[in-house]
Amino acid sequence: MLKVNQLSIEINGKRIVDGSSFFVPRGRITSIIGESGSGKSMTISALLNILPAGSKAAGQAFFDNKDLLAISNKEMSAIRGSQIFTVFQDALNSFNPSVKMGKQLYEFSGRRIRHSVAEFHLKMDDILNDLGLSKAIMEQYPFELSGGMLQRCMIACALYVRPRLLIADEPTSALDTLLQKEFIELLKGLNEKQGTTILLITHDLDIVAEVADKMVIMHKGKVVEVGNVAEVFERPKNAYTKRLLESRF
Amino acid sequence: MTVKWIGKRMMMGVVVLLVVSFLSFFIMHAAPGDPATAFYGGNAQTLNAAEKERISRVFSLDRPITAQYGSWLVETLKGNLGISYKEGRPVITILRERLPNTLLLFGVTMFFIIVGSVWLGTIAGMKAGSILDKGLSILSIATSSIPAFWLGILFISFFAVKLGVLPSSGTGEIGGEGGFWDKLRYLILPATVIIFTHVGIFARFLQENIKDESRKYYVTVARANGVTEREIRKGILHNASFPYLNYIGMTIPSFFGGSIIVESLFSWNGLGQLTIKSVVTKDFPLLMGSILLIGMLVVISLFIIDFLMYSLNPKLRKGGVQ
Ligand SMILES: Nc1ncnc2c1ncn2[C@@H]1O[C@H](COP(=O)(O)OP(=O)(O)OP(=O)(O)O)[C@@H](O)[C@H]1O
Ligand SMILES: [Mg+2]
Repeated sequence: MLKVNQLSIEINGKRIVDGSSFFVPRGRITSIIGESGSGKSMTISALLNILPAGSKAAGQAFFDNKDLLAISNKEMSAIRGSQIFTVFQDALNSFNPSVKMGKQLYEFSGRRIRHSVAEFHLKMDDILNDLGLSKAIMEQYPFELSGGMLQRCMIACALYVRPRLLIADEPTSALDTLLQKEFIELLKGLNEKQGTTILLITHDLDIVAEVADKMVIMHKGKVVEVGNVAEVFERPKNAYTKRLLESRF
Repeated sequence: MTVKWIGKRMMMGVVVLLVVSFLSFFIMHAAPGDPATAFYGGNAQTLNAAEKERISRVFSLDRPITAQYGSWLVETLKGNLGISYKEGRPVITILRERLPNTLLLFGVTMFFIIVGSVWLGTIAGMKAGSILDKGLSILSIATSSIPAFWLGILFISFFAVKLGVLPSSGTGEIGGEGGFWDKLRYLILPATVIIFTHVGIFARFLQENIKDESRKYYVTVARANGVTEREIRKGILHNASFPYLNYIGMTIPSFFGGSIIVESLFSWNGLGQLTIKSVVTKDFPLLMGSILLIGMLVVISLFIIDFLMYSLNPKLRKGGVQ
């Protein structure tokens, strides 16, 4: 579904990601794992054409045979608005502080798939409930909710729109273990029942082992290893991967 | 909650007015010169010491300042602002004649400054890097560094003296035939000077706020997930309006200060010109009255702006949770 080929990113002349290549197969869960600052989030930004000002991306990233790095802004908007949904890493800052959550959740989910506000409430209330949130949050402002609650709100939107490709950048970082388990189950369900392709960025090897089919290991801006999760866990090739896997126990 | 907030704001306004009135009273008395002599104007030299003392006693100028302030305050609270030394008419009558002119000048200039700056600032801010974006940054610095009085003199010499199309000074015939249109003609020059020297910097401020807001994380998140551009713009403008409103609030006191100069330059019969006149003639009751009224206008304007901010910004409404 997504094939990244020799992707390099420079910010103000500094190379952040260096010739990374990996493949996200359709209908599977692929996980990117790597230490903090290794360029995972920047890779996502490059794919979505939302890099900060002063940065450049080179290489190719084919999504349905369209090169995301070469298409027009208009085509990119269309893809972002209908094919891909992204749960960003910083949930606390992902919402407009002066608009009520209900309205924002609708803009992120219901509006996107042309549901009426009434339909939205019907469906969203259930999803929020599954994630342990009451529908009262719809009347609240982002600054009245915790980081974990906001993270779940964004996840709720992803579950609502059922995109073809779901990108989730450390979506469980602010959740306790119980909620993490819950979310992993929902993610699996989405993947199995809807066939949603998922690109999951995480620090947590347990989550990778639990849900992912394939994994991409990044280290200092480079992809050092790619492979099936079971194989990589069994026989890691790269020295960094070995160290990473050892640290798990 | 809202009622409590309004109550608190009003209390603060009253305190501000008390402080302002006390300070002006004090400064006025500390300033060199003597109202008793000023009262006599050109004939002041002919006064002898005894006569000066008599005048001072009649106007209670020999009592301690705090006592004088106390009686002024008591009378003011009763609604009596006293009699002008110079004109012999009740201060309140004079203020009533002047107030509409100042309100007209203030209202018209503020209206055009806000409309103009919101218009320019929004287009420039939303198109970061465009010609308008860069142009406005330069233009705003240029226009705001032109002194208003200098521009005023330039306008007078060009439009009034050279072309003779607009009157150079005055407020027009009041109550006469076509009184309103006549006044409007007189309004054009002073209003243009104030608008021209303010609109650029106001627009620039909004433009920068919009650019800052556009770089926020939530905007990227919304854009990456297909939220409509219309919604995104609405959000940006909404949030960029908070510092803009705050800026208007901060400039309002100096705005009134600046209009004193423009009013005097164009002999616009408003409160600003009245203040200057009463300072020159040491007409204490009139001076206190006009300072108090200008102070009230500032306090009311600030109240309106605070109220707007309060109703637009949920963070303020919810008690400033960060
Ligand atoms: N706006 C920016 N300007 C300049 N450099 C940046 C910017 N954002 C990130 N970087 C740099 O890019 C590199 C990669 O950052 P990135 O956010 O992709 O890391 P990450 O792998 O997502 O880390 P984490 O696990 O902590 O989220 C870092 O070295 C960081 O210093
Ligand atoms: Mg990251």
